[in-house]
Amino acid sequence: MRLRNAVIVVLCIGLVCSVSMRSDQTYAQGKRAASSNGPVVMPKITVLNPMGTPPPITLIPQAPRLNTLDGKTIYFINTGYIGTDRLMAVMMDWFKANYSKTNFVYKDNKSGAGLAQVSKDLWTEISEKGDAAIVGLGH
Amino acid sequence: MKKPAVPLILNDFEKQEKEVASNLGMPGLRIQYFRGPVWGKTNEQLKKQIVEGNNPITGKPAMPELVELLTKPLTAEEQKTGEVKQDLGPKTYTGTPDELQKLFLKKRYTDFLPVVLPTEDKVAEMLKFTSHQPTEILGKMNPGSEAGEAWSYTVKDAAVSAVMAGAQPEYFPVILALGSTGMTAVNVSDNGFMAGAVINGKIRDEIGLNYEEGAVGPYAQANTTIGRAWSLLSINGGNCGKVGTTYMGTIGNPMNLIGIIIAENEEKSPFKPLAVRRGFKDGENVITLFMGWGILSAKNWAADVWGPNMNYPEIIKEIYHAQDGTLFGTCAVLSPPIANYVKDGGYDTVEKFTEWVTGLKPGVKPAGAEGINSGIRNAGGVFTVIVTGGSNNNYFSMGGMVPSRSVQIDKWR
Repeated sequence: MRLRNAVIVVLCIGLVCSVSMRSDQTYAQGKRAASSNGPVVMPKITVLNPMGTPPPITLIPQAPRLNTLDGKTIYFINTGYIGTDRLMAVMMDWFKANYSKTNFVYKDNKSGAGLAQVSKDLWTEISEKGDAAIVGLGH
Repeated sequence: MKKPAVPLILNDFEKQEKEVASNLGMPGLRIQYFRGPVWGKTNEQLKKQIVEGNNPITGKPAMPELVELLTKPLTAEEQKTGEVKQDLGPKTYTGTPDELQKLFLKKRYTDFLPVVLPTEDKVAEMLKFTSHQPTEILGKMNPGSEAGEAWSYTVKDAAVSAVMAGAQPEYFPVILALGSTGMTAVNVSDNGFMAGAVINGKIRDEIGLNYEEGAVGPYAQANTTIGRAWSLLSINGGNCGKVGTTYMGTIGNPMNLIGIIIAENEEKSPFKPLAVRRGFKDGENVITLFMGWGILSAKNWAADVWGPNMNYPEIIKEIYHAQDGTLFGTCAVLSPPIANYVKDGGYDTVEKFTEWVTGLKPGVKPAGAEGINSGIRNAGGVFTVIVTGGSNNNYFSMGGMVPSRSVQIDKWR
């Protein structure tokens, strides 16, 4: 019985020592790898692309250009951003001085700032009575 | 309209306008650029600097160039039709954590801080906290009303942002409720808007939201990471916050990083919770979104002078009337002691206090956005009261921040 207990104790000590030695060896090997071969290589992982989905883009051709401004009606559309009324006034002065045969119409969007606020009626009016439009101001 | 048109744009917006035009299907849109700002200049200044000046991008005289944009025949490229798909890269990336952090930074997937890398396992853990399908479209978002087409994002996309932000999975229903509104946390505006949200209901304690000392700051994981997740979802799901294209804040706004996520201190407030005042049941888990300039300590205003006698209702009223309420009204974020001063001053409901502060009968809309750019001062505007924070002193904050939508959180569980 004593002998059996002694064997068990010896085996247990051996097991603990071997586990302890193995972990020390692993640690030492890791250190060696780090000191002799540069930093420990990090494992690679796979991650998800976080981007959402943009809408498909349908290309819209631009409207054909005018051959000349003479005899044409050009609309100035003020989308409502502050100061645009003054800018368009001085621009129209320049156009009137340089294009005397062109008709200019100024429309002030009073419903608020922004292109989205321009009324559909105004776009219809330009389609029917105008030849081109200058729209501003993107700030 | 089918008539030639030329938009007038300030040159600092060139990159943004080109991207917006491309997204709208007109990558070669003819635009005339001018040097800005225009606002605040006299006719004489505008004539010299713009009309008689050059396009700062091409260097050519601006007005003859404008005529050319209306009259020069279109190129074949400008008349193209068809469909274009945007390439957003692969669905996954593989690399070491360091490599992936650098890649995410380079691709501008982040808010410039390190993120928790969104592995499939971590995202799956987040998704366990909702009954909604990962592929369900959660919302559509763009950086602002006229800044391009809206992108869409799924419940799984929101989970990716939540992981990246460092959110705990139990916060996920709140993040989904925010994402479901489609409201960006990072608005394109050159004004530098911020976004925030107020959370009411039992979920505040359930997920550990802070509504005591430091309530509006980054002093609890829940408040901080919910706000960050909303911001990251806006950046990645809604393509927001990219300087020069989808972000144009002239000065910027530090509150864009994590927004302001406020849990009301319902237990110590003498008033009904914000959500209840907006028609929800007491105790219901609700999040109310805000947009505005942000808030500052009330000490910022001369009305709030330290002294032995403090009339807080009067101070709040004076600050209200010192504000321009045109876009975002006035928001008072009161600590419980200040809210109790208001109550003890004779205003036992927010409605009574609002009527006294604004001078308007309930239901009467204050002057606001309809007067935009008119040069007319709209004092105060919409008045909102939120109660949160500790009771360790008589401090409170005010600013411009207006509530928009309120959303039930539990339907996103």
